Amino acid sequence: MFRLAFLASALVLSTLPAAAQEQPTLTIYTYDAFAADWGPAPGLKAGFEETCGCTVNFVAADSSIGALRRVQLEGDTTEADIVLGLDTAVVGEARATGLFAEHGVDTSRLSLPQDWSAPDFVPFDYGYFAFVYNTETLPEPPTSFEALAGDDEDLTIVIQDPRSATPGLGLVLWLKAAYGDDTNEAWADIAPHVLTVTSGWSEAYSLFLNGEADMVLSYTTSPAYHIIAEDDDRYAAAPFTEGHYAQIEVAGILKSSPHQELAQDFLSYMLTPEAQENIMMTNWMYPVTDITLPKGFAPPVPADEALLLDADEVTANKNAWIEEMLGALR
Amino acid sequence: MRSANPADLALPFGFGRRVTGAALALAIAALILVLFTSILSVSVAGSSASSTVDLPHLLRMTAIQAALTTVLSLAAGVALAWALNRLKFPGRDALASLFAAAIVAPGLVIAFGLIAVWGRAGWVGDFFGLFGLEWTGSIFGLHGILAAHVILDGAFAARVLLTRLDAVPASRLKIGQSLGLSPLKRFMLIDWPALAGSLPGLGAIIFLLAFTSFPIVLLLGGGPANQTLEVAIYSAVRLNFDLEGAVLLALAQLAFCTLVIAPMLYFTPDISVGGSTADYHWPQTTGANTLAIGVLGLGLAGFAMPLVAVLANGLGPGLSNVLTSEAFWDATWVSLSIGMSSALLTLLLALGLSLGRSAFNSPFARLTVGLPAYTYLIVPAVVLSLGFFLAVRGTGVRPQSAAPFVLITANALLALPFAMAVLGPALNAIDKRYARTAQSLALSGWQRWRYVEMPLLHRELGLILALGFCFSLGDLGTISLFGTNEFATLPWLMFRALGAYRSNDAAAIAALLLILTFVAFWLPTLVFKDKRDA
Repeated sequence: MFRLAFLASALVLSTLPAAAQEQPTLTIYTYDAFAADWGPAPGLKAGFEETCGCTVNFVAADSSIGALRRVQLEGDTTEADIVLGLDTAVVGEARATGLFAEHGVDTSRLSLPQDWSAPDFVPFDYGYFAFVYNTETLPEPPTSFEALAGDDEDLTIVIQDPRSATPGLGLVLWLKAAYGDDTNEAWADIAPHVLTVTSGWSEAYSLFLNGEADMVLSYTTSPAYHIIAEDDDRYAAAPFTEGHYAQIEVAGILKSSPHQELAQDFLSYMLTPEAQENIMMTNWMYPVTDITLPKGFAPPVPADEALLLDADEVTANKNAWIEEMLGALR
Repeated sequence: MRSANPADLALPFGFGRRVTGAALALAIAALILVLFTSILSVSVAGSSASSTVDLPHLLRMTAIQAALTTVLSLAAGVALAWALNRLKFPGRDALASLFAAAIVAPGLVIAFGLIAVWGRAGWVGDFFGLFGLEWTGSIFGLHGILAAHVILDGAFAARVLLTRLDAVPASRLKIGQSLGLSPLKRFMLIDWPALAGSLPGLGAIIFLLAFTSFPIVLLLGGGPANQTLEVAIYSAVRLNFDLEGAVLLALAQLAFCTLVIAPMLYFTPDISVGGSTADYHWPQTTGANTLAIGVLGLGLAGFAMPLVAVLANGLGPGLSNVLTSEAFWDATWVSLSIGMSSALLTLLLALGLSLGRSAFNSPFARLTVGLPAYTYLIVPAVVLSLGFFLAVRGTGVRPQSAAPFVLITANALLALPFAMAVLGPALNAIDKRYARTAQSLALSGWQRWRYVEMPLLHRELGLILALGFCFSLGDLGTISLFGTNEFATLPWLMFRALGAYRSNDAAAIAALLLILTFVAFWLPTLVFKDKRDA
């Protein structure tokens, strides 16, 4: 009862008009892992607050899509100034909402798998989808989707459902970018090796770590976590000759934000070496500027092997491509 | 709602109960309505294409899976409850608590426990390996889904059914023994009537849980051939933001499931017995004893091994790391306070609804009062989270501030059908046995509760508190849009760790969570044990 009373008073207090605040609050919607204690958010908040004369408030939805959906639901009345963590697969959709403003940040010197000139979203990290394997139990991993399809039936992979997990959608786009009109056959060839299709990345990765599957759909940077944080160098990402699909994570400022300049400053801050270093080592993705990669981080895929589809094309065809995948695996 | 029963017309008893029950049922139905209309009334910037869903196909597939789960879980539950009731041994209550802990642990934890036993790299494979044999069975596929569901739901059924068997009055047992009933006759004539009243309520819950299951179905399903309608609804909301489509699918699910469970609840056999209990010993034949030991052994192997696997994996390298982290203790505190608040709320709602329901004589009125509590289980989690978010915004309250209240309410409602499945049959049994006495003494509703019902319901009340508590340790799905970074419960912490490569931490939290739920189920059996045996 006491606890309830406490909660009740907290509710009352928090609905009262906020006392006149001296400094502005920059509210950033992001995904849960980004805002976690061990994610990039605490470091970014501390670093930016040193100079901005403001308070940074990260609000975590369960996923980046969740953060976007919340802003869509709230419309002009949203508290958010920035949505952070959208990726290239949903950028087209985010743009179509018409909720995002121009960022005004200089992105000309970014080093990314492809030139970036979008006026509304600023990239802050990126990675490539890849199949991660255990070098001890699988000394000779397949080197392409074709090799995977032709491999022994016992070789199993775990992937994620494109309807609920970012990498799952990434694989759909990866195969489409690599095989175009022949994607359906490619899916059918891979199908016998698919152990299961999980709803989230975590479940798939756990299955793999527990030894239930030989390879798991993840990122080229995944082994870096095991090498650097766990001092375990058994894991590696298999290079595929068809190339690797890129995932670029971006942030955008909302038109409804009363703190446009402050928000722009924050996005610029995200590109400083300090912030990039923090993001790299806590989000386990590649930096978007030229800073030195630590030992253990495999160098990014060469530019000519990087795959990325046009954002509008993705938005328009996503559902059809997912149906194609589900149909082939059924 | 007047009944034609003259005995009932004569007495004003139960009016307050009927009003309370009906009002609560109405409030719950109204809440569901508010959630749906909040979603439909929102106009969204840039909503994208709608998805295509083969509804009949999905409904059929999901229904088959759910029906199989229900039948298997009830069968397993009856067998286990029977074995546990027959075999009196020290630690029996603790074992029953272990079984019950399964249903409230996050489903994925149990699924991973199952994989740790039966998977390619699992214990069974290791065991075969000792003899140079190879384990080639796969846990992935429809049978894997069923196995996980039966472990979750069958064990819960066993726990509830065991309270019914333990409540069989000693007088009945005495008569049975003096008649020299065979083990089979004893089961048919004495046990079955005690169990039958609980089966439809339990069956309805299990059916709904299996029907709306999502991550387990995908994890163990082995591919998109096995999926549920819930997945399609999730995808309509998250991927396509097709809110109208999602609401339509959710309504289809609601209609379909209601059609299935309403008859089950309506035709609940009214033959419950019990109301008092005693440790009456009726020695069994050797054959029956052997069978009971066999069933229990199988149960232990099938049900307890995955749980033990979770503990074994968790109480390892990640443990000290987790126990020394501030985040863990914060989350534990949040989980405990949320859990206790919603356990109380669950208890109050369940009492209000169950006492109200049993005060009605017409089966239709009983169904009407009971059904809304069940329908809450059918509304997809993603629709609930959207609905709650929009409803809260509609009141002008900041979502972050409302999050704890929404969570407590949502969790209490989630645990409610379980609580009612526990309480309903027990109340009916008490009614049968003591209604006349209560009437002849002209007890008021309160007196009847205080002197007749409450003393006889200690076990059930303890079980309900444990259920309500443990369910609320559950996930934060309902407040996933509310802003969750400053508000973490243990399951959320676990999934967070899992999502950040920290699988050792996640395993440790899963094990601790399992221990916590186990204790929560075991404590009440100690505390509430003995008023009746005295």
